[in-house]
Amino acid sequence: MNDIFDIKRFFWLFKKSVLERPALLLGLLAVTLATTLLTYISLQKIGGLGSAQVGAFFLGLLIGGSFLASSVFGYFSSTSSGISYLLLPASHLEKWLCGIIISGGLFVLIYLGFYRVIDVCFVNIYRNNLDPNSPDYLNLYNSAQILSFNSENVRYIFIMFFYISGAMLLGSLYFNKVSFIKVALLIFAFIISTYFINLLFGSFFFNHIESSFPFTNVHLKVGNEVGIINMPSALTKTASFIFTYVIPTILWLLSYLRLKEKEA
Amino acid sequence: MIQIKNLSFSYRKGSLLYKDLSLLLTNGSIYGLLGKNGAGKSTLLKNIAGSLFPTGGSISVDGMIPQKRLPSFLSTVYYIPEECYVPALTSKQYTALYGVFYPNFNASQLNDYLKELDVVIEGKLSALSFGQQKKFIIAFALACNTNVILMDEPTNSLDIPSKTQFRKLIASVMNNERIILISTHQTRDLENLIDQVVILDNGNLLLNTSVKEITSKLHFETVNELPAGSMVIYSEEQLKGISIVRENRSGEDSRLNLEHLFNGATQNPNLLNQIFNLKK
Repeated sequence: MNDIFDIKRFFWLFKKSVLERPALLLGLLAVTLATTLLTYISLQKIGGLGSAQVGAFFLGLLIGGSFLASSVFGYFSSTSSGISYLLLPASHLEKWLCGIIISGGLFVLIYLGFYRVIDVCFVNIYRNNLDPNSPDYLNLYNSAQILSFNSENVRYIFIMFFYISGAMLLGSLYFNKVSFIKVALLIFAFIISTYFINLLFGSFFFNHIESSFPFTNVHLKVGNEVGIINMPSALTKTASFIFTYVIPTILWLLSYLRLKEKEA
Repeated sequence: MIQIKNLSFSYRKGSLLYKDLSLLLTNGSIYGLLGKNGAGKSTLLKNIAGSLFPTGGSISVDGMIPQKRLPSFLSTVYYIPEECYVPALTSKQYTALYGVFYPNFNASQLNDYLKELDVVIEGKLSALSFGQQKKFIIAFALACNTNVILMDEPTNSLDIPSKTQFRKLIASVMNNERIILISTHQTRDLENLIDQVVILDNGNLLLNTSVKEITSKLHFETVNELPAGSMVIYSEEQLKGISIVRENRSGEDSRLNLEHLFNGATQNPNLLNQIFNLKK
């Protein structure tokens, strides 16, 4: 018996994970997709197509993804289901892979597919509603484009998704009850404290700091003059690499180690 | 074989539930694990199953380390906790999703055991009463045909006929390869079932002995007055006289009374040591 990874056993585990809690997984997915659709419609009415595209994509992926990530290891909300999960004859790697494939792979694929469908529909509706006799017709027509998944905005949203989902996944293995709220509060506290600690350290080096963003720049204000001191580009690139790839990967990998050490 | 060497365990720093506990459980026996509330019976079972990790010492089950939770280990051990987890699935779905993980799982045995335990399932398992859910899990565990079965208070929430059916079923599935370890407060439920008694108190092992040895070294009887000159480890006044547990010097036969044995062992551990020549 292969104790590390067995494809047949992994398939059984995956099937069990999905079919055992269909109401939870499919319900979360349905709520996420419905929220995305409603957000898209609402934001389009308020701020136009461009903001609706980014806003709905952001909200659906982040909120839905983080809820799913915090529930995928939700067995530990009760001791008995936690024990049942831990003692199920499958390897740690299989259990972890199953969790990350559901929350980081399958969910993203379904979400992107759904999002693309509604985006195409809304862009087409928008274009069809334009007056072809208007002088701005061509500009407006061309300005309404399907949201590219390679755009910078989407890239940032993906990075945030992998951050928050990784933290939620890890948090659900630390907090057995209401892990979503606890992790959300921790993330909030982390962001706030990072900002102020950075500001404090910045004040050791500069006077007249107006604002300061970790690993990017410091805004100085003397009288009415405002100046920006950027971090050296080599350091910014390194920091960007670490924050974009290294930390999210560590968060996801830590959940594997935590799962191995988890007791119930 | 389950071998526990110098096991230490604590839930919090500074307060050890066990310290240097050593215990050997051999195949082919049904063990009754007795202890007061909070003595750590469930904790011990969880350590053996691998859902909790020892603070110190080691546990091995047929040469495997539970803490690693390898599939090859987990598929040979079934732990039934006091409160069982039953998902919102039908019996057929549960069997299809969970049974595949146990190489020796036998679906027709499951049906037979369910019949023996009078479990009738219509709809989802989560809709069953607590007792019925427990009986389902017991039947499923036995049908997995694992070498080690650990049961935490299995007779809690079972009605009187179910307790009898449970005993019959456990006795019928026992073989020389298996170890069944049952933790319970309901000593009477186990009296005619177990062949080994393990008593824990304050993190110490007071007794790990066969029923045969217990009844050869101890005599259980009801007397009118306490016999002079014999080592009495427990006495309790009752309507018909005084029930006592004393050293069996003359090799008389008597019926094991687990409750009295347990009370005697926890009240007079030194006397018990003397009688059984237990090594500390």
